[in-house]
Amino acid sequence: MSSDQAMLRVDKVGKQFGGLRAVDDVSLSVRKGEIVSIIGPNGAGKTTFFNLLTGQLAPSEGEVRFDDRSINALPPHARARLGMGRTFQIAKPLIALNVLENVMIGAFMQAGALSAARDQAMAVLERVGMAHLAPRRAGELTLSERRRLEVARALALQPQIVLLDEVMAGLNQSEVAHEIELLQELHAQGLTFLIIEHNLKVVRAFSDRVVVLDRGRLIAEGTADEILSSPVVIEAYLGAGHMGSGRELPASVTNEG
Amino acid sequence: MEQLVTVLVVGILLGGIYGLVSIGLNLIFGVVRIVNFAQGELVMFGMYGSYYASTYLHLSPYLSVFLVAPLVGVLGMLIQRLVIQPLTSEANMQIFATFGLLMFFQNLMLAVSRGEAYSVASTSSDGALAIGDLKLSTARLVTFAASTLITVGLHFFLSRTLMGKSIRAVTQDKRAARAMGINVERTFLITFGIGAALAGMAGALLTPIYSITPAVGGNFILAAFAVVVLGGLGSVWGAYIGGLIVGVVEAFAGYYIDPSLRSAVWFVIFLVVLIVRPAGLLGQVGAEEVGFREQH
Amino acid sequence: MNSTEDIMRVRATASTRTRPVPAGPAPRRDVIASAGSAWGKYLVGMAIAFAPFVLLIDDSHWINIIAVTYLMGGLAAAWNIIGGFGGQFSLGHGVFFAIGAYMTGGLFISFGWSPWLTMLPIAVLAGGVAMLLSWPTFRLRGPFFAIATLAFNEVAFVLANHLESLTGGPRGMMIPFKVGFVNMIFRERWQYALLMFCFAALVIGISVWLRRSRLGYYLLAVREDEDAARAAGINVLAVKLQGMALSAGLTSIGGTLFTMYLRYIDPPTLFTLPDVGVKFALLSLIGGIGTIAGPLLGAALVIPFENWLRAELADSLPGVSLAILGLVMVLAALFMKRGVMGAFEDLMKRRRGAKERGQR
Repeated sequence: MSSDQAMLRVDKVGKQFGGLRAVDDVSLSVRKGEIVSIIGPNGAGKTTFFNLLTGQLAPSEGEVRFDDRSINALPPHARARLGMGRTFQIAKPLIALNVLENVMIGAFMQAGALSAARDQAMAVLERVGMAHLAPRRAGELTLSERRRLEVARALALQPQIVLLDEVMAGLNQSEVAHEIELLQELHAQGLTFLIIEHNLKVVRAFSDRVVVLDRGRLIAEGTADEILSSPVVIEAYLGAGHMGSGRELPASVTNEG
Repeated sequence: MEQLVTVLVVGILLGGIYGLVSIGLNLIFGVVRIVNFAQGELVMFGMYGSYYASTYLHLSPYLSVFLVAPLVGVLGMLIQRLVIQPLTSEANMQIFATFGLLMFFQNLMLAVSRGEAYSVASTSSDGALAIGDLKLSTARLVTFAASTLITVGLHFFLSRTLMGKSIRAVTQDKRAARAMGINVERTFLITFGIGAALAGMAGALLTPIYSITPAVGGNFILAAFAVVVLGGLGSVWGAYIGGLIVGVVEAFAGYYIDPSLRSAVWFVIFLVVLIVRPAGLLGQVGAEEVGFREQH
Repeated sequence: MNSTEDIMRVRATASTRTRPVPAGPAPRRDVIASAGSAWGKYLVGMAIAFAPFVLLIDDSHWINIIAVTYLMGGLAAAWNIIGGFGGQFSLGHGVFFAIGAYMTGGLFISFGWSPWLTMLPIAVLAGGVAMLLSWPTFRLRGPFFAIATLAFNEVAFVLANHLESLTGGPRGMMIPFKVGFVNMIFRERWQYALLMFCFAALVIGISVWLRRSRLGYYLLAVREDEDAARAAGINVLAVKLQGMALSAGLTSIGGTLFTMYLRYIDPPTLFTLPDVGVKFALLSLIGGIGTIAGPLLGAALVIPFENWLRAELADSLPGVSLAILGLVMVLAALFMKRGVMGAFEDLMKRRRGAKERGQR
């Protein structure tokens, strides 16, 4: 577990907005090939934390290191070029383009010309099982298709690590199972994952390590089983009144908002 | 020294005019969050309205305000309801739409008036007040006073009345205001109406000073942009103070640098403010919300 | 919060949709038009656009209108590169137009330099100016960006009036009628029309190429969603600057041609927004913003019509053509955002959809 092997290392990162400390002294390591999940109640600062990692926001303190170099000064597109792919909590398909073109946008980072980008994008679509949707306008996709398109576009970058922000939000049970299958396949192919998730079933099925954020602070870290039965975590989710019941968090603490 | 004071006073009075013209734009800008390119034409309609009131109803410009302002206000509400509201969250199309209105209104008046310039003579047009060695045009003094009064009036309206408070709530956070039960569309409608009425009012008050041509709106809109951006969106006093600053800077630039470069002053101010401090001097509205992206 | 609305909206869409289309053999080839098909369409389109020239070459009245239509079509297509593909609505393209116009004219009058030679370096200069001006202003959101570009236009207008030694000031600049190919001054109007056609063909050809290039796709991504673009490794500012430079350079070339065609330029002619800067955008809007054929189509619809209006009504009703254009702009923004090409594409899609449904 030596930190030299960490692909992504976050050192005491914090973000202040005026009087609000959205992220406070969070440190985290993700090793190559790991799946790390970030959970926590609403407003815990999870997406803010992601934005600090991808460069959308600059940290007030602390350092983000990727492949053992500091990337604090790098803007988002430079971090994407280094190998950090990400999806957004609200899917952002490029609606005027079709599915293939959406993925090509990502593929162009590696391929310079249209035909190469098109072929690479097609390969990615096959990998995620969306090849038949290639000509469909991105604006006409269902929610689960949009989510998958986000993932495809990130994959087209040939990233080393993929950051997924609540990629399961709003999906029904069979769609969720479908997505987990895809993610597991991708993981088996060697991809590293850092995901924000509310759906604890997903967390249980698809995590090596779980990290809990509450009010901007990292309050617990461990395996899925450890975390999901930890009193500290239960308290954070449900409030002090429910302490000590010894029960686990209900498996479907899904967030609709 | 005397020159300096004269230029300063000229600038201040000019600033009063700019503040008057900008106050409506500022309100619309700050609340509805759209750039109303046609605002200058609303001022122009105010001027023409005052002219027709003077010619056919023999009303003095200052009295015609009571007739003209509500009419232009209604026009404003129509614009908001028919043109702006359908284009909510389509910023680029809003640009086309309001610029199209600018072209339409301006050239409509050109066709109607056959290109003739009008002017309205009023007792104050030629009058001047002498203070020491300075001769101050009465009309401009009246305008300055009106600008100040209107700003004060608007300030009280926004802080004391229920409608005013709704407007301020919507300015700060549209979603929260909606959640509190405020009818945001109706607030936009009323705000646009008030903003347009203020423009019409400004037009009527300015007829003793400027000659009335279809293109006159163009003069004001450009300066008004500079004023609004400098003063800061959503701030009533920002428009007033911004107007004074723009007026004074323009007067000094015109006197000491070159009269023909006066209009360039507006843009330089506008560009400098947007790049250096987009929230303006007293801006209520957050910079990113309105015009500026966080840069990396 | 945003995500609730978003989820509700997408759920509504999902519930109206039937089962996903069963996966057949993936239609690889025609998802993106092949190079052959894209350029084929270009050639056919330009041939159609050339037809009026051929048919009306002897009509001195119409050939003038055709020349201006080609020129404006090319200029609109140049604007479309940053405005349509890139989604950055610049109202200040008059600045680049004027750079081409004044510099070409000035160098020709003072040194006799052929516009053919000076055209390209001036265009590069215009591109550089464009990058310089846009670099701080691309941070601004939609309407503010538009106002800032408008501001540049107005400042340039004031400067053009002021710097009399360079531009002739309010009196303007007059190009002597020294006929000769090298001077880009032609005796016959049809020769100018042919020149303008070549300009339009050039700009539209560049648009076709761009639409199939990485820069073109990046511009589209930036237009659709800057955050998504950044996450895809796109340097948004660099892409915008490149698009702007290309657009400005081509606009400047249009300015060069305009000067040698009209042989008289002054500040009002070059900077009046409804006639120049905004007109480019307007033509694209009516024809179809972001499409290839839109700008020229818009020019073909508007310019002759405008000419007719001015000829018929200018005396009795001054300004009527601009009033109507203004109204058209408002109506287009409200009801026909994607212009004529957009309406056409919608029609084709509906017919294709009906055919597909018929086949199932």
